[in-house]
Amino acid sequence: MARERSAPRAPRRRGMGRRKVCRFCADKTMLIDYKDARTLGTFLSERGKIIPARITGTCARHQRRLTVAVKQARTVALLPYTTAYP
Amino acid sequence: MADRRYETLVLIHPEQGEAGAKELAARIQKLIEEQGGTVSQVQDWSLRDLAYLVAKQRRAFYVLFEYRATPKALQEIERNLTLMDPILRFISVRQAENAPPAALRPARRPEREEAEFEEGGDVEQMSEGESS
Repeated sequence: MARERSAPRAPRRRGMGRRKVCRFCADKTMLIDYKDARTLGTFLSERGKIIPARITGTCARHQRRLTVAVKQARTVALLPYTTAYP
Repeated sequence: MADRRYETLVLIHPEQGEAGAKELAARIQKLIEEQGGTVSQVQDWSLRDLAYLVAKQRRAFYVLFEYRATPKALQEIERNLTLMDPILRFISVRQAENAPPAALRPARRPEREEAEFEEGGDVEQMSEGESS
């Protein structure tokens, strides 16, 4: 049979590593909630900055909601604005 | 006016103490009800570490209120909250009608987050490994 293997069929991507999937799309039960500092914290850098969707793979819609939630969490001191404070 | 589903998270000054915070929470609940709101849940997160200093405090009592109220009532509730001195901060968020009620998840593990904060300081002690 002259059928090609379908394994290396993925579109060419720069660099290696697998395709990132939006975590909120993959797991529909996962909610974006400003009160859930633990989950939001995984989308922050060590400095407390929001990690771009380009890196985390979060889709645009969820990234928008995520940034709002992070900012809400910051106003009530559940998340830091920055880690560099005296 | 149609009423809407809101939730308000209030930060109470730690000097109030456990009892004082409870009392204030009861007062806020009464305030909401006086404005024609119906409180569906009051969640006490107790004393929590703040992510940064607020009013020179490291921790605060967190209390979450879930209720239904009209936008007018919310305005009045918020105005009253700003007048209460022991309240460091608060945030009101409109909830979707079909959103599940807030689970009691964030209150459970304040200790672990504390540990994360102090990680930076602990490293120094370990590097002094001079044995005679």
